[in-house]
Amino acid sequence: MSPARAITLAVLCLAACPASAVAQAQEPSTRAGQIEQAQAAKVTHPYEPGQVEKVLNFVESTFVPGSGPHPFFESAYSGGGFTLGAGYNQFVSPYNTVDMRGSYTFKGYKRVEAEFTAPGLFNRRGTFSALAGWREATQVGFYGIGTNTSKGDRVNYGFTRPHASAQLAVRPTGGGLVVSGGAEVSQWDTGPGEGSAPSIETVYTPQSLPGLGAEPVYYHTQATVGFDSRPAVDYARRGGYYRVTFHDYADPDDLFGLNQVTYEAIQHIPILRETWVVSMRARVETATNKEGQELPYFMLPSLGGGSSLRGFSSWRFRDRNSLLLQLDWRAMINRYIDIALLYDAGKVTERSGDLSLNGLKSDFGFGFRLHGPASTPLRIDIMKANEGFHVVFASGAAF
Amino acid sequence: MAHLRARSCFVVLTVIAAALALQPSFTAGPRFYPDDPLQREPESRDASGVKAWDIGLMYELAVNLYVNERRKPSNTRAQNVNTIDEVPDSSWFTNRIGQTRVTPEDLARGPNAGRPPAPEKWVIVREKSAGAQPGFTARDANGETWFVAFDEKARPQADSAAVVIATKIFWALGYNQVETFLTTFDPSRAEFDPKATMRRPSGERTPWRRTDLDALLEGVARNADGTYRVVAGRLLPGEILGGFRYDGTRPDDPNDIVPHQHRRELRALRVFGAWTNLTDQKGGNTVDTLVKENGKAIVKHYLQDVGSTFGTANGPHDWDVGWEHFYQSDTTVRRFLTFGFGLSPWQTVPYKEYPSVGKFEGDRFDPREWKPQTPTLAYVEMRADDAFWAARRVMAFSDDLIRAAVRTGQISDAAAESHLATVIGNRRDAIGRAYLPAINPIVEPRLTADGALSFQNAAVDAKFAEAPAAYLAAWSLFDNATGTAKPIAETKSATTSMQGPAGLPRTEGAYIEVDLSAQSDAHPSWREPIRTHFRRTANGWTLVGLTRLADQPGDAPVPAARDQK
Repeated sequence: MSPARAITLAVLCLAACPASAVAQAQEPSTRAGQIEQAQAAKVTHPYEPGQVEKVLNFVESTFVPGSGPHPFFESAYSGGGFTLGAGYNQFVSPYNTVDMRGSYTFKGYKRVEAEFTAPGLFNRRGTFSALAGWREATQVGFYGIGTNTSKGDRVNYGFTRPHASAQLAVRPTGGGLVVSGGAEVSQWDTGPGEGSAPSIETVYTPQSLPGLGAEPVYYHTQATVGFDSRPAVDYARRGGYYRVTFHDYADPDDLFGLNQVTYEAIQHIPILRETWVVSMRARVETATNKEGQELPYFMLPSLGGGSSLRGFSSWRFRDRNSLLLQLDWRAMINRYIDIALLYDAGKVTERSGDLSLNGLKSDFGFGFRLHGPASTPLRIDIMKANEGFHVVFASGAAF
Repeated sequence: MAHLRARSCFVVLTVIAAALALQPSFTAGPRFYPDDPLQREPESRDASGVKAWDIGLMYELAVNLYVNERRKPSNTRAQNVNTIDEVPDSSWFTNRIGQTRVTPEDLARGPNAGRPPAPEKWVIVREKSAGAQPGFTARDANGETWFVAFDEKARPQADSAAVVIATKIFWALGYNQVETFLTTFDPSRAEFDPKATMRRPSGERTPWRRTDLDALLEGVARNADGTYRVVAGRLLPGEILGGFRYDGTRPDDPNDIVPHQHRRELRALRVFGAWTNLTDQKGGNTVDTLVKENGKAIVKHYLQDVGSTFGTANGPHDWDVGWEHFYQSDTTVRRFLTFGFGLSPWQTVPYKEYPSVGKFEGDRFDPREWKPQTPTLAYVEMRADDAFWAARRVMAFSDDLIRAAVRTGQISDAAAESHLATVIGNRRDAIGRAYLPAINPIVEPRLTADGALSFQNAAVDAKFAEAPAAYLAAWSLFDNATGTAKPIAETKSATTSMQGPAGLPRTEGAYIEVDLSAQSDAHPSWREPIRTHFRRTANGWTLVGLTRLADQPGDAPVPAARDQK
């Protein structure tokens, strides 16, 4: 009897099937003997995974923490368009890493940087990071100052910006309280823009647009205090985040120094056991020039783009103050997919006292998110505003 | 998928061969051997050539969710049952409850054969190698090695109680279980083995430090006296080989000849899992060990991690756990088209939630609709006769036994403990109600030397069905050599006993075949007879054959709840 035949019959005949099938060969006289014969006939060999299993095992192994390459989809600056990039993460100690990465967009935006991260400070309550890099954006949109500007008024500018920074974030109580602070030095080398829109210097002058052609160096310090009860920053169905961040941009030439304050409140409200989640965000940004200095156009708070007014182009509205209100009504389709109805409203103003609910620019749309328990690798938002449709492809939650 | 296709081909060939083998005229060999019904599945070959393996989580989840979820059951009869439709003892399974008397004391002891851990001193050796609960591997004061796990700070006792209680229940059900104890950990008496290491995010192993322990203890529940309640699982004897797969066989184990999806005790985890809400059924929660028995190496199979049970799994169960697979195409489409308004039961079912129990309920529970996180192939292949077999074991747990099992969890909140026992009891009854009346429930047929036939009706005895109007028995002389049957009489009775016809053979070694069915308008499926065979011995008649559902083309798989409501 061939081994295969013996095994096939034995697996059948441990049950109530007749002993007959094996009776033709050298017949065991017992059921146990019949099974033993099949066991003896089995040709053993090591387990050999199939191609699909090999591939998935390889993919799984790449997610195991450790040194190695990784994709990187973050553009140099908002509005850069479709981005491709890669990085290499290298552990330099059991917990600390150095990540070198770069990206390039179809619009020619470039970004290269290296970041050192130490996540286990203060009994794993603190994270320190230091970053150095260089970015280039070739066609950043500028539509004028204020909310009542026209889409057709777009001009483009470009810049390069070498920068280096360090930041420390701590959860002092181990709970939701978050305190962070950091310092950065950077140089903004602004210039003409590329692309289909006119270059900015063809429409504006340094007199009509403070900061045009400027190349300021900023010593930027910032501090944040907040309370974060979200299970994860990049995907949450409950919890909230409330923060105030103070920025000081010091220009050693005393030309373009400014202060900026950001107030932000995010709350996720689960409904019917997280069948739906209503996510709300309110954000106010204010910027003021330092005494005797000018506030350059490229440092003004802005609205528009994939995570603010999603139905408008990036940097669509700029002024000294901005108000953003967002409402996402998400439905859990399964553990990996959410769909959402989206609504954004906001305005920019010259005076903070004008940040009312009147005259808001708004959009609405439909969203699709592929997510994990703590991350959103893919977000597609199809938005409609009075200036037309806008499709957002992004990795990461909007807020 | 190449090997999947190979496995599929093997299954198909097996089914074809089964059909051929079941043809009575195929050969003149005997139907029953002298040692039928087999009480123990032999492991005759030395398996020392087996090598350890890892089962990739991503691959297993992908196959379970996106291949198995769409599979239709083959309706193949379980292939490791003996001739009376029971599962013999093996390296996988040991008959306990339902076959032998299990007392509350037996259940409370469960798999624990050795001495409990000596918690006066723990020497930490390394991190835990299995399970997501925070913990480590450590030696106790006796020098024995244990896997020590803690409870989440917000939910004291929950995870440790679940592991301990489930270990007792699955031991009683027949599965190999890790010896598991509740004990304490006093950090002031903890030491670190000089060689103790911990795997860091970088992948390298560095020495354990006190700060590592501090970080771990920061997130776990602490007793009022500063010690910690922990659950300790004894290191299994033998060489650890990795988990077992719920499909195919282990190719390097010569004794492993029954495809795992056709092992009844693995199919039955669909019922036992539903009962206990064991939602995380995957190869990673099992372990094979290579041990010496009777002078040769064999592979022993464990359900290693049964902690994702009742209402907890390293945190309270998510709302949909037990109600839906991690991914289901039908609910995905429905929710997408309705923006979530096409509700599922888990979205509205009421829970009485205790922190030490989690989300666990027994009122809306329907075992036919229960879902593990991902469906194994064994889950897919379960048939009505497998479910019936499993349901009888579940029903063998009396309220006293359930309470005895729950008490081993040492839940200090009496209301929570009572709630857990009540829910387990309610789910037990739901299982009996669903599966015992679903097919012909005649069990325990006995035939005396003078031809008096008696049996029981498992569904009626459990009060899940009314007694049928009548029982029918079709009697035949059975030729064990040819497998042919010659009808001799039919008898009928309103009760579960009846006298056989005159003229039954009295020659030792003679066989008869009796088809037993019941007439019940409420349960048409009972008209389908179970087929029994008796062998004449010196003392009378011995049951040697019982087939509740044969392999048949078009054979119905487990009825869905909607079919039976």
